[in-house]
Amino acid sequence: MKPPPFKYLAARTLDEAIDALACSDGEAKVLAGGQSLVPMLNFRLLEPAWLVDINRIPGLDGIQDAAGSLHIGALTRHKTTENAPLIADAFPIVTAAMSHVAHFGVRNRGTIGGSLAHADPAAELPMLAMLLDASITTQSGKGKRTIAAKDFFRGSLATALEPTEILTAVTLPKLPPATGWSFEEISRRPGDFAVAAVAVTITQQGGRCTDARIALAGVGATPIRFPQAERTLIGQTIDAAMANAAAAIVRDQCEPQSDLQGSADYRRHLVGHLVARGIDVAAGARS
Amino acid sequence: MSESAHIRVTVNGSPIECDVEPRMLLGDFLRTTLALTGTHFGCEHGVCGACTVIVNGDSTRSCLMFAVQADGGTVETVESLGTIDALHPLQEAFRTHHALQCGYCTPGMLMTALDLIRKRPLANDAEIRDGLSGNLCRCTGYQNIVIAVREAAKVIRASNL
Amino acid sequence: MLETTRPKLVGASVKRVEDPRLLTGQGAYTDDFRPNGMLHVGLVRSVHPFARIVHINTAEAKRMPGVIGIFTAADIDGAAKPILATSKMKEYRAVPLPILAKDTVHHVGEAVVAVVATSRYLAEDALRKVEIDYEPLAACTDPEEATRPSAPLVHPSLGSNIALAREFVRGDVPAAMAAAQVRVKGRFRFFRKAALALESRSYLAEFNGGRRELTLHTSTQVPGIVRESLAELLDLPGNSVRVIAPDVGGGFGAKTSVYPEEILVCVLARRLGKPVKYTSDRLEDLSSTSQAFDEVIDAELGVAADGTLLALSADVTGDVGAYSVYPWTAAIEPVQVVSFLPGPYRLANYLGKVRGVITPKVPLGPYRGVGRPVSTFVMERLIDMAAVKLGIDPVAMRLKNLVREDEFPYKVASGIVWDRSAFIECLDAACQKADYAALRTMQHAARAAGRWIGIGIASYAELTGIGSKIPAAPGMPVNTGTETATIRIDATGAVTAIFGVASHGQGLETTLAQIVADDLGVRMEDIRIIQGDTAGRAYVTGTYASRSTVLAGGAAKLAAGAVREKVMLAASHLMEAAVEDLDASNGIIFVRGTDRRMTFKELARKVYVEFSRLPKELQQELEATRLYDPVVGTTSSASHIAMVEVDPISYQVHVLRYVVAEDCGRVVNPMIVEGQVHGGVAQGIGAALLEEVVYSEDGQLMTGSLMDYVLPSATGIPMMDVLHVEAESPSTLGGFRGMGEGGTIGAPAAIANAVSDALSPLGIEINELPATPERIFRLVEQASKQKR
Ligand SMILES: Cc1cc2nc3c(=O)[nH]c(=O)nc-3n(C[C@H](O)[C@H](O)[C@H](O)COP(=O)(O)OP(=O)(O)OC[C@H]3O[C@@H](n4cnc5c(N)ncnc54)[C@H](O)[C@@H]3O)c2cc1C
Ligand code: FES
Ligand code: FES
Repeated sequence: MKPPPFKYLAARTLDEAIDALACSDGEAKVLAGGQSLVPMLNFRLLEPAWLVDINRIPGLDGIQDAAGSLHIGALTRHKTTENAPLIADAFPIVTAAMSHVAHFGVRNRGTIGGSLAHADPAAELPMLAMLLDASITTQSGKGKRTIAAKDFFRGSLATALEPTEILTAVTLPKLPPATGWSFEEISRRPGDFAVAAVAVTITQQGGRCTDARIALAGVGATPIRFPQAERTLIGQTIDAAMANAAAAIVRDQCEPQSDLQGSADYRRHLVGHLVARGIDVAAGARS
Repeated sequence: MSESAHIRVTVNGSPIECDVEPRMLLGDFLRTTLALTGTHFGCEHGVCGACTVIVNGDSTRSCLMFAVQADGGTVETVESLGTIDALHPLQEAFRTHHALQCGYCTPGMLMTALDLIRKRPLANDAEIRDGLSGNLCRCTGYQNIVIAVREAAKVIRASNL
Repeated sequence: MLETTRPKLVGASVKRVEDPRLLTGQGAYTDDFRPNGMLHVGLVRSVHPFARIVHINTAEAKRMPGVIGIFTAADIDGAAKPILATSKMKEYRAVPLPILAKDTVHHVGEAVVAVVATSRYLAEDALRKVEIDYEPLAACTDPEEATRPSAPLVHPSLGSNIALAREFVRGDVPAAMAAAQVRVKGRFRFFRKAALALESRSYLAEFNGGRRELTLHTSTQVPGIVRESLAELLDLPGNSVRVIAPDVGGGFGAKTSVYPEEILVCVLARRLGKPVKYTSDRLEDLSSTSQAFDEVIDAELGVAADGTLLALSADVTGDVGAYSVYPWTAAIEPVQVVSFLPGPYRLANYLGKVRGVITPKVPLGPYRGVGRPVSTFVMERLIDMAAVKLGIDPVAMRLKNLVREDEFPYKVASGIVWDRSAFIECLDAACQKADYAALRTMQHAARAAGRWIGIGIASYAELTGIGSKIPAAPGMPVNTGTETATIRIDATGAVTAIFGVASHGQGLETTLAQIVADDLGVRMEDIRIIQGDTAGRAYVTGTYASRSTVLAGGAAKLAAGAVREKVMLAASHLMEAAVEDLDASNGIIFVRGTDRRMTFKELARKVYVEFSRLPKELQQELEATRLYDPVVGTTSSASHIAMVEVDPISYQVHVLRYVVAEDCGRVVNPMIVEGQVHGGVAQGIGAALLEEVVYSEDGQLMTGSLMDYVLPSATGIPMMDVLHVEAESPSTLGGFRGMGEGGTIGAPAAIANAVSDALSPLGIEINELPATPERIFRLVEQASKQKR
């Protein structure tokens, strides 16, 4: 289980990395934390001609507070995201979810850009990007693009990224005040990819729901939102019956797969319960 | 064969300079080029944690990093801890509490535990277990590892090591 | 100062001798050895479960950088005989296990082509360029279907897919069943699992052509058995073959068989005149190292109204995979299930049938507990099912039927004889420690609050330290019942004790040194234990079947006794004292009640260096070799109590409390014994809840990584309480009983009973393991459908 040969470039600037990708005819892979890419190389599931290492590019990491949103550099390590006060303040749901992302040692190296670009359907960060209506910034020889999360995830391990593009940052628009949240995940062991995970935010004003978001991971080929279920909550005073009704919609609409982690039926069962509980919790005390 | 890269890296305090093939995993570099065979591979795909070393202050799986990526940095392996005659307090705790049997997972456990002790409060056993959850041990059932890390944390913090 | 005897080391939690090297990264596992000029082997393994090899093209691979040679079965034809595991069992069929597949591959992962290159990286580059044309063949992957007459045969030469069949009968089962007030039965299933030692298999062969000498470093539990095999298969005299098991990273039974790759590296080293190493990666390990369990058991238990067990019948079908492993044979796992099924209970009527069926999968082999994790699961489930039906508490049910003190030795319906062991005392002790009554109260309260909490008990017994009279595997033609120790005091006064066992985590260098130190009267640090090396040994095997402390401990006592006698004779002469007045402790020989003393070092010097001054009868080396044979061995036993909670949404099972009370006889080192129990229980919990080797219906392996084959991590294993209960000392020398496997034997049953108990309000029985959330989900769905 040893990686195949490749040519290696430790890019010093974003431009150098972009040039290298442009010259490589789509035969290059970006190397960020390596926590997903290197296992695939070791299994020889991939044999790229080039690896473009972006770890030494200054300024590609870090979290900034920009009017109404947080701007997170692609190279921001999971450990940083997990511990950042800026994140904990604006997105406690992200802080809570980070402890479910792999393990201590993996979080020391894994990056948010890598997670999004890798687009594992059972990963937490892509799902949060969907939940939080993130926009994803990329750059290539052809220039910059900003892609809405909902247009970014195209399938299992498939995204809107071109092979010559680098994901440079993700922007999370802040949630309205009085937004409650919940994050629920079932995995075989703590730190494993989700069998099913559910993230919910509920914004309420004067006892009525003004915004509701429900996202799933581990269920289907991409992280996914449920606008129809979300709409049934908006304008309402949320109670257990409403939560159950919305959860039933999600359960019926989701398209889980069967695999070693669990059957589609089991996942559907989980989704029903987790969404109902998630709405309950998000609408309740935490805000 | 792909061309090689020239790297400078400080391993256990000693500066090393040499040429490596880019695809050489850090763990293989340590084990073969530097003959530091204390670092073990148990899966080579990032799950077992046996290969954990500390790179630039962070515990890292040496099967998921290339040696060339360590260029300019520092690597600490199990060989940097105590010696046979003067074990590091963490090693001493592992011995006292019988936290190893075959010893294969042990170097990775030690390096992860060291990083945890340096960075986390480890206020209770649940935190220790969570911190160690990326390191698999097939022999001990973890009980004595948890105890050893708990006790070592006390000693190390008390003595500011 | 008056010399006195120091407190004994046996019984003390002495810190382990092996730890300093293992903790500082100075352990030396097989893959750590890198002799000059060493070459690496990469293997092209079959991607088909069952296929004819039509053509192999190695031309392009041969041209790859660093490639030294590429070998197919044809290229090494005649270089080694294939491995053949014969058996004395009547209905048993084995096919030779080839070093490389010849015309046909019989499971995904079977090695077909060996690539030798200057590094593992280059070997892997080249093996991807080897082209193999296969013609896939039809095969049955389901063992029951594979027994039908129309089923295609995996090995046509055998004329059947049934590798073995056997029956055990005692008493009159139909009559006893008819008389039983209550009968409980079920179809039980324990899916396939992997031993998964963290160090995967690794072999390094060096052949010295000038001396015609072969040295193999191997991650084996049985260097002795490997040496015998190499000598036989490579046609070399035993004195030219040295097999060394250096530090070994766990084995759990899967490293007790002789593997084709082990022979292959020797063939290649001999052929190429260079050291040759093969280290399997995790994918190869999961697709080629012997696996465990995989049995379906139809069983029925008949019980009298007062809870007395009357009759047991069982029909076991084991999926033994494609080959019979050497030397244990394909019979070892399924036959042991039937042999041990009656458990530690009094039971007069038993009918047990077993079949081992060949399928195109990785061969089944010994795994920690062999057969008993499965037999205990089935029997303990049946007992609980009967207890529920009769309204008897499961503890009372067991106490009623466990073999009593005055009934030992007790001959089990399958022919096994239980030596006196603390069957009842262990159950009592476990209940007391766990505060069983309080657990039940807690459970009732939790249940009233809607929580699914259950308590499970498992009692079992096992044969350990088996001597020469019983083969460690049914019908196996190899003597596993003796162990030889050589103990020598050299001219510097240092002690060397040489054994045939091979430690791979058990701390044998420590426990054996404790025994030798006590019996000789020297210090631990004066002793070097040599184990895991066949050099100069007449006949040794290794470490397996919970034998090492009993057999090597016994041999150590014999040899140490003989050496001590020589020491005392010499001392008596040199110190001018009667032997009866002499004693030794801490490396010092002294005349009791006086200050006359002499160190072992001084004595050794006088014996060896000033040899000529000794009287003729004392002119002898301070050395002895003794063989120990416990003949039938002894019995170990334990009771486990588990408390679990099932999450009502995820159906994940959390183990809340775990107590083990076990009788392993005299405990040499309590710390090590507890560690063995912890690790064994953790593997048993893994087996009960998580771990499963999955094959698709068409024979593809689905669990080829540690992402898919899920081991317990630190978050899933609870703290456990381990109690030692000693019944009257067994007949083994030193009073030791074996104990390495027990944890894994009891835990699956205790967990299955606990989960069944937790889900009993829904009427759910856990009769399939592992009880994954998916399986529990399906049971709950079914139960709620039936309610509707
Ligand atoms: C044992 C283990 C358990 C894990 N468990 C989880 C889990 O529970 N949840 C979870 O979410 N993740 C899990 N992971 C994965 C981990 O979070 C990874 O870090 C993450 O998925 C990928 O991030 P990375 O920076 O390591 O990316 P890499 O591995 O470096 O790259 C992954 C992919 O993204 C591409 N890429 C990376 N960065 C960029 C970029 N900036 N622009 C364009 N392309 C890019 C790469 O080319 C590659 O294709 C686990 C990993 C391991 C080893
Ligand atoms: S060898 Fe690196 S994590 Fe297993
Ligand atoms: S001590 Fe053997 S794997 Fe941990």
